[in-house]
Amino acid sequence: MTTATATVPAPTRSPVKPFYFNTSAHLLRITPQKATTLSEFLDALRECPEGSIFQHTFRTLQEHHFIREGFSNDFAHWAVSACNEPSLAEGLASVDVREFTSVAQIRERFIQIVESFLQRTPAAANRAARETFYFCSSESVVIPTSFIARSMQDFAEGLRRVTVHCIHHHFIEARLRLKLMSNDFSQWLYEDMGLTDAARQLNRIDIYTVTLEDVRNQIVRIVERALT
Amino acid sequence: MEPVEQQVHSELVHSDSTAKDESSNPSTASAAVAPARPERRSKARTWDTPPAPVPPPHLDDYKSIVGEAEIDELKFLARELKGKKVKMVNSTAVGGGVAEMLNQLVPLLRELEVQTHWDVITGGNDFFEVTKAFHNALQGSDYDLTQHARDIFLMHNEQNRERIEFSEDFIVIHDPQPAALIRAERRQSQRWVWRCHIDLSSPNPSVWGFLRPFIERYDAAIFSSQSFARQLPIPQYLFYPCIDPLSEKNKDVEESFIQQVCDEFGIDRSRPIVTQVSRFDRAKDPVGVVQAFKQARKYVDCQLVLAGGGASDDPEGAAVLAEVKEAVGDDPDIIILDLPPWCALQINALQRASTIVVQKSIREGFGLTVTEALWKGKPTIAGAVGGIPNQIIHKLTGALVHSVDGCAYQIRYLLTHPDFARQLGQNGHEHVKENFLMSTNVRRWLLLLRILQAGGAK
Repeated sequence: MTTATATVPAPTRSPVKPFYFNTSAHLLRITPQKATTLSEFLDALRECPEGSIFQHTFRTLQEHHFIREGFSNDFAHWAVSACNEPSLAEGLASVDVREFTSVAQIRERFIQIVESFLQRTPAAANRAARETFYFCSSESVVIPTSFIARSMQDFAEGLRRVTVHCIHHHFIEARLRLKLMSNDFSQWLYEDMGLTDAARQLNRIDIYTVTLEDVRNQIVRIVERALT
Repeated sequence: MEPVEQQVHSELVHSDSTAKDESSNPSTASAAVAPARPERRSKARTWDTPPAPVPPPHLDDYKSIVGEAEIDELKFLARELKGKKVKMVNSTAVGGGVAEMLNQLVPLLRELEVQTHWDVITGGNDFFEVTKAFHNALQGSDYDLTQHARDIFLMHNEQNRERIEFSEDFIVIHDPQPAALIRAERRQSQRWVWRCHIDLSSPNPSVWGFLRPFIERYDAAIFSSQSFARQLPIPQYLFYPCIDPLSEKNKDVEESFIQQVCDEFGIDRSRPIVTQVSRFDRAKDPVGVVQAFKQARKYVDCQLVLAGGGASDDPEGAAVLAEVKEAVGDDPDIIILDLPPWCALQINALQRASTIVVQKSIREGFGLTVTEALWKGKPTIAGAVGGIPNQIIHKLTGALVHSVDGCAYQIRYLLTHPDFARQLGQNGHEHVKENFLMSTNVRRWLLLLRILQAGGAK
């Protein structure tokens, strides 16, 4: 792994490689899976394409990036609003996508939670939900942006100006590409700028209790601190 | 421009209603269909005449709303489609949501150098009678599909197939009327998309059984809600309907204009205003709104504005309006407005003047009046039907209700918890900005075309 020398001050240090800000655009696809009971929901969780798990966890966070609290993923929301099962909803909502580096792992975790709940509460399995859960999936296209960081100043400026979709692409979705418990920003700060502390601090930002705009602001603050 | 005769007639409908109420019962004056007007006005009211048509906006006009980076992303997405040709086909050039949407989408795609053409099918009265019946049947009405109706449908589709050239890279057919155009010969690389704007969740089996073989020949289908789709062997995409933030209905308006509109309609802005904007239709449950309002007002001071249209040219609308007036009785805090169809700017002002917006539908398509209210940052209470749950996440972007009692409770709660109501309004605005604006619609089209171009569908 190549790291930039730590002896040069961060503001004037040149990265090993520039940071190219990309973003991803997603199109919602309607899949055949739907659920009117928790039993059907469990079957659909097992059968649905990985794109559906991605959509209802990672992508829904992006679609609802402006909500500060009370929204974690579509499964948890349906469990409470349509099935009136708050304890199941709490379990599903506690799944933090950042603890996984593959969609398959996330799917397994959701299946475990629902199986465990239905073992404890078998009467809930076939109770009709108030609303049907329609599984959707996501088809993605990665697109470049005009922002390229060849210095820390460029990086901070790019972070301030890109869309929140770009922030989501590099900061949240990235772990599925990297297969690491990290993100593109931290990787660049660590590998290309040698800023280990800043890279670590970014990984401690809580994405579930703030909006994505707040996440952006926290990232910018950490990067600005590294600049001084 | 609306003929003068008709403008006057439109006013008289209101004034006559008012006069009748007042003569039979003087105490009903404040529950009138419109505020009393002087015999001679020196100045026209804001809704007297239809406004001049507004030219469609340019892409860069949206920068101030969604940001420059968002518009740049659209330009990047369009790069690989430069020079590609798209044909949109529907059944009407004016009137209706589809034509309105195409009027805005087509110029924006052209501006992005995606060569987009729009053709409208032609047909006689017999054809449009059949397609109107198909439209209702596909949304669940009873219908006896005859061979004659099939023949008329196919004959007119065949005539249009011969009249219209289909040489473009992408052909997009809107709704069922032109669905059988897919029988046209097609190039191997050509992609056909069926954009269904109606609710197919419980279609009449005979009509759907007749249309389905045509739909299955498309490369992809698009629906407005997950719940509107059918099980099909082709990829199905979800495109939410959208609003244009720059349109008369949704653009920012001056505070002075809002005040002027409220003054004209006799709305007191010093007290909370609860508003439902929708035509007088039982599916919108205006009587239920009146009942919920009356329940809520026992606990909190407020006024109700029911702003709609359709009562003057639709017998059912007139009947519903009469039911609403009966439910209102002599209540001075309820204002009913039967507005002509060109009053987008006035509706905009009314929504912006409102403390809470209600859309207590019991059946609904997508519910664009909800989208409009959310865009204006209004705490919104709406029936959990049709596409409304896609827009309102209960307690996060608004309040979903299932009954008059539920609606009454939410009105009380939101009027007495202004901070929570404000947060709902803010979230609702962001939700629309992210998912239901014209710029997002352009993004979806570009994405679909790129996916189809790459061979991603079917």
